[in-house]
Amino acid sequence: MSRISFGYSVSEGKVINLDQQKPAWLEKIFELEPSLHRCISCGNCAAVCTAGHFTGMKFYRICLNAFRGQTSDLKNDAKACMLCGKCQFACPRGVNIRHAIMLMTQIQKP
Amino acid sequence: MHPFTIPFMAGFTMMFIVLIIRYSNWFRGFSTENRKRIAGRMFTRRSIHALNEIFRESLLHLKIYKTNPILGYMHMSLAFGWFLLIVGGKLETWYYTGNFANPPQYAIFFRFFHPVTEATGIHRIIDFYMEFSLLVVLSGLTIAMVKRIRKQVAGMKNTTRHTLTNRLALTFLWFIFPLRLLAESATTSIHGGGSFLTGITSGLPFHPAVELPLWWAYSISLGVFFVCLPFSRYLHIPTEMITILLKKWGVEPELKLKTNKGLQAFEIHSCSGCGICLDACPAIGVGDKKFQSVYFINEMRNGKDHSKTAELCLSCGSCQQACPVGIQLEPLRISARENLNSEMRFNHTYLPSKMILWRETTDVILFTGCMGRMNPRTTQSMKKLFDEAGIGYVHADEDENICCGRPMVLTGASEQAELMMSRNRDIIHSYNAKVLVTTCPICYKQFKNSYKLNIPVVHHSMYINQLMEEGKLNRHHSNLNFSYHDPCELGRAFDCYEAPREVLKRAGHVVALSKEKEKSLCCGNNMGTILLERENRQQITDKTLMVLSENNPDYIVTSCPVCKNTLSQQSSIPVRDIAEVLTDLPEIKQKTGERLTAMRESHIN
Repeated sequence: MSRISFGYSVSEGKVINLDQQKPAWLEKIFELEPSLHRCISCGNCAAVCTAGHFTGMKFYRICLNAFRGQTSDLKNDAKACMLCGKCQFACPRGVNIRHAIMLMTQIQKP
Repeated sequence: MHPFTIPFMAGFTMMFIVLIIRYSNWFRGFSTENRKRIAGRMFTRRSIHALNEIFRESLLHLKIYKTNPILGYMHMSLAFGWFLLIVGGKLETWYYTGNFANPPQYAIFFRFFHPVTEATGIHRIIDFYMEFSLLVVLSGLTIAMVKRIRKQVAGMKNTTRHTLTNRLALTFLWFIFPLRLLAESATTSIHGGGSFLTGITSGLPFHPAVELPLWWAYSISLGVFFVCLPFSRYLHIPTEMITILLKKWGVEPELKLKTNKGLQAFEIHSCSGCGICLDACPAIGVGDKKFQSVYFINEMRNGKDHSKTAELCLSCGSCQQACPVGIQLEPLRISARENLNSEMRFNHTYLPSKMILWRETTDVILFTGCMGRMNPRTTQSMKKLFDEAGIGYVHADEDENICCGRPMVLTGASEQAELMMSRNRDIIHSYNAKVLVTTCPICYKQFKNSYKLNIPVVHHSMYINQLMEEGKLNRHHSNLNFSYHDPCELGRAFDCYEAPREVLKRAGHVVALSKEKEKSLCCGNNMGTILLERENRQQITDKTLMVLSENNPDYIVTSCPVCKNTLSQQSSIPVRDIAEVLTDLPEIKQKTGERLTAMRESHIN
């Protein structure tokens, strides 16, 4: 049976693909900072973030995109961070955000 | 010389050679500036000061006395007692032979070679002195042995877990002095002589055949101990003295930390592993991995992976305050983090630069920092106080705040904090002000130590105290009880303990706590830690709150937004900033009459 075309399609970014293998360096970050798995993308971190105020970077976005395997902006976004730690106070899930950011800025992407 | 002295001589020579090789390696790591400092200051009064400190700290261990007298006596009796024996042995052989330059083994085994000295006055005195010194060492040794079984005897709750080499060296160190006593007693019982101590012990039934084996055993334990010394924690004995000299000569740490280069090498190997930092650490018993300074130093020394011990720590500075050797643990840890995170790259070029068209003139610049944004109440209180005292102010980071850079320094990226710092400096220099007041001790430390601003920096607790002393702020004394929590970055870092307490004493009572001032605990959530999990941080906060809740205070007061946020999340007693206490508590009232008088007086003047 051929697929029926409704004239629109699901965009790539909105698909959650659990089969997709995470790149090794990303697995490594999750392994070194397991609290990242606790992120529920509530957005508290972004609400208090000064770097986000200037650049539009949002930690929960980075996290969410990393779960989905979208990592093209990850390192550049993380680089804007000032490590001030307001986000960690705001985080209801106790994610060690500063360490995660530190790891992200250090990755050597293929 | 008798062949039984060979083990001692071999061990002693080997220790000497290894020490010279290791030390010359570390010396080679000194930068040219440091070498110049050493050469220029070697023959100045600084060296005499250093010798004084060596006598006080390396031999008498006065700092450990302050921690616990029994622990102090234990260290003193072993170090100073042994020193007395060495000096006494030298004098004894000098007096006896008339030759000062006799070999060391002659003094150490003197009793074997000359069991009976003439019973004239001076010999009796020397014999008595030598046996008294030995008794001092043995008394310290007894405490050390009891401490291994019951550490509470010496007032310790935690003791260090030592590596195999350290335990081997310790065993042989313990054997040395009892064996010396036994060997001397055997000789005395066979040949006569001796003083009060061997006078008692020589009564034991010694067979003439055991005399020589006992001297052999004494010599072997000395030899093994000396072989172990440069590879164990006992390396601190010679290294600590050199470190004191180097520090008095003003030698600075090398820019990049290497465990076998420069001052840092000497500092790392000065650690005696005494474990006093364990009881001082607010995070002791928290988490699976022990990351206290003694373990951190030990891992660095042995070239092991020290990433966990370096990055779990909260950098509160308690261990550095407690360290009897005075090792600069905080800078060491930050340097270790610099090495570990050298790949880290940040990009803060997005930060807007401030264009200065005119410089607004004001009395005070208020900088509330990142955490101030999460505590607007403190900022409001501060502004109310400024208004009340009639002081003009500008809130420098009202709209958007750039981090002061201290959190970045703490993670080991101090160079990359420069851009943020220069942006903040521009903002501060864009005003004509007399003083910069910050409500955050973390910012205060960074401004004070690294910014090189054109105006003085004060923390708001100091500033409020100053205003109260000048009579510009007044409060009626209330019946409220406050317990004050010293923030690490204000208390231990700047010895600022009295200013906030003075402020609180004017408004109420400050209750005494079991751990306060330099011994105060960490709130559990400062920017110093990188890896510590939230659950572990909460455990620390709970322990701190237990201390702060002693004597049931009405309010817990602090002067750091981080401490306030952290404590208030878990506290059943309300937590307030010191500025809020003066403005927001209904019980605390302004002395309006006095204020008006003060204002009138200032107008007349």
